[in-house]
Amino acid sequence: MVQAAGRRKSKGLKPRWAPYLFIAPVIVLMLVFNIVPLLMCFGISTLDMGMTFNNATFAGLANFREALGDWRFWNSLVVTLKWTAVEVPLQLITAIAMAGLLRRNTRPNQLFRAIYFMPVICSATATGIMWKLILHSNVGYIPYIMKLMGLGKVNFMNNPGITFYVIVFMSVWKTFGVSMTILIGAMQNVSADLYEAADLDGCGKLRQFFQITLPCIRPTLWFLIMTRIIGSFQVFDIVYTTTGGGPNYTTETLVSYIYSRGFGDVNRMGYASSLSIWLLALILFITVIMYSFMLKQEKEG
Amino acid sequence: MSTVTKAPVHAVPRKHPVRWKDIPSKVLIALILVIAAVIILLPVLWMFLSAFKPAGKIIAYPPTFWPTEFTLANFERLAKRIKVVFYFRNSVIYALLTTVPSVFLCAMAGYSFARFEFKGRNMLFILVLATMMIPFQVIMIPLFLVVKNLGIYDTYSGLILPKLAVAMSIFMMRSAFASLPKELEEAGRIDGISEFGLFFRIFLPLVKPTMITMFILGVNAAWNDLMWPLLVTGSTKMRTLANGLALFIGSDTTEYGPAFAGAFISIAPMLVLYIFGQKYFIEGTMAGSVKG
Repeated sequence: MVQAAGRRKSKGLKPRWAPYLFIAPVIVLMLVFNIVPLLMCFGISTLDMGMTFNNATFAGLANFREALGDWRFWNSLVVTLKWTAVEVPLQLITAIAMAGLLRRNTRPNQLFRAIYFMPVICSATATGIMWKLILHSNVGYIPYIMKLMGLGKVNFMNNPGITFYVIVFMSVWKTFGVSMTILIGAMQNVSADLYEAADLDGCGKLRQFFQITLPCIRPTLWFLIMTRIIGSFQVFDIVYTTTGGGPNYTTETLVSYIYSRGFGDVNRMGYASSLSIWLLALILFITVIMYSFMLKQEKEG
Repeated sequence: MSTVTKAPVHAVPRKHPVRWKDIPSKVLIALILVIAAVIILLPVLWMFLSAFKPAGKIIAYPPTFWPTEFTLANFERLAKRIKVVFYFRNSVIYALLTTVPSVFLCAMAGYSFARFEFKGRNMLFILVLATMMIPFQVIMIPLFLVVKNLGIYDTYSGLILPKLAVAMSIFMMRSAFASLPKELEEAGRIDGISEFGLFFRIFLPLVKPTMITMFILGVNAAWNDLMWPLLVTGSTKMRTLANGLALFIGSDTTEYGPAFAGAFISIAPMLVLYIFGQKYFIEGTMAGSVKG
């Protein structure tokens, strides 16, 4: 009886262990599979090692010094920054334009939105295979159409001058739906009164878009610019499934190069980890700069 | 009052007759939208149709759009070349056995953050936030070594365990639970329900839409995940569709028919998921941006 009453009372209180028990599995998983690897990354980057810790030797900062003189590292950095400079603006401009056109919840607009979002759910593997086949000089449809139009023969997937841009196009094709969806959500939160007032003033739709819509969704735009830039430093899938970094390393991004050092042609876990540290430093650097810039803008705005 | 005075103003642009000067811009907009839709849809449709064309038609010149005869030969040839049935099964296992436990574990963590005050909560919250900031590409090499040293390389555990704790899901669940009224747990505790009963029987059913969103986005992410299965599976029997097909087709495609068939198998299930769960895809995508 006493015991039962005691249990009943303890159930009425918030048991102090409950929150810890609920959160424990996730925290353990995060420690083992996120935090420990991050800490290990710094340690491994000072080692000279293969796929296992056997035969690992301490190398100090040699890996980091090697990277500074590694032309493929610098090349991959340039390719990555080029990706940031080309893909991010293209994707965001496409997304902003489409979001602006599809802002209203009409039936046709909803259909177009559903279509534009569709590539987002397709795997990079399938997207890569698909575009490679469409652009293929033997079986592809686009080279055929180009020939009909009297345009020359272009080897889309193996041309150092244009393959990079072909992959950028595939990436925009596949992912602009995400930014567009987020932007439509933001645009719909803009007060309808503002548009009504502008309508009464006889202000045109295009001017309304630039003078009302865009300023009102500035926080969302900043968020997208920031996340897309950070995302552009992590590009791997679409490159891996189309060119594998070629031709002549013109599409080899930083992550592609890290993969190739760790798991590709060679298995240099230590060196690859040191490159990962460079990647982390780069991402942190960009994040801090973007964030402070964003805060400054918001204060002024 | 204000709504009453507003109503006629709101009605003005709607009652407006068609303005002739608007028509060119309307046509232009429609044209842009249709062209973009064609650029999105036509390649996918062409690939889907090509997957069912006989090998001779695929390499024929000029290329055809609509197949004159349908055949499953490409799929048969694909199955002969790679263990595509295994890949498909592994993709299903990876997608489901990652997402279902992940939804529950992340719901539990989100519940803890949202409904309890406890020592160390802020510190743990920063920890979760930190894992969201660490890109997977930065930790992939040590993570591979961790999995290898735990003896779960090339196993389902190795594939699944590192993908269970998802910071974004925890944040989504946290805000879903935080929006529920305070009286719920008080009433439950007075009735003498255990803490787990309170969570599973009262709170969890109330956040079902969030759970479905997380489930659908999770299945899609795991199905399409290329990098982690690429690193952590070694034998052909363990590969998933995304990485198995990427390895098979490689950077030089010569087996066009099986390539079309493979891409079809990879996309079709997600397309079905999208057709039925489009609402959740959109909601999940938008929820991911609210924090910004």
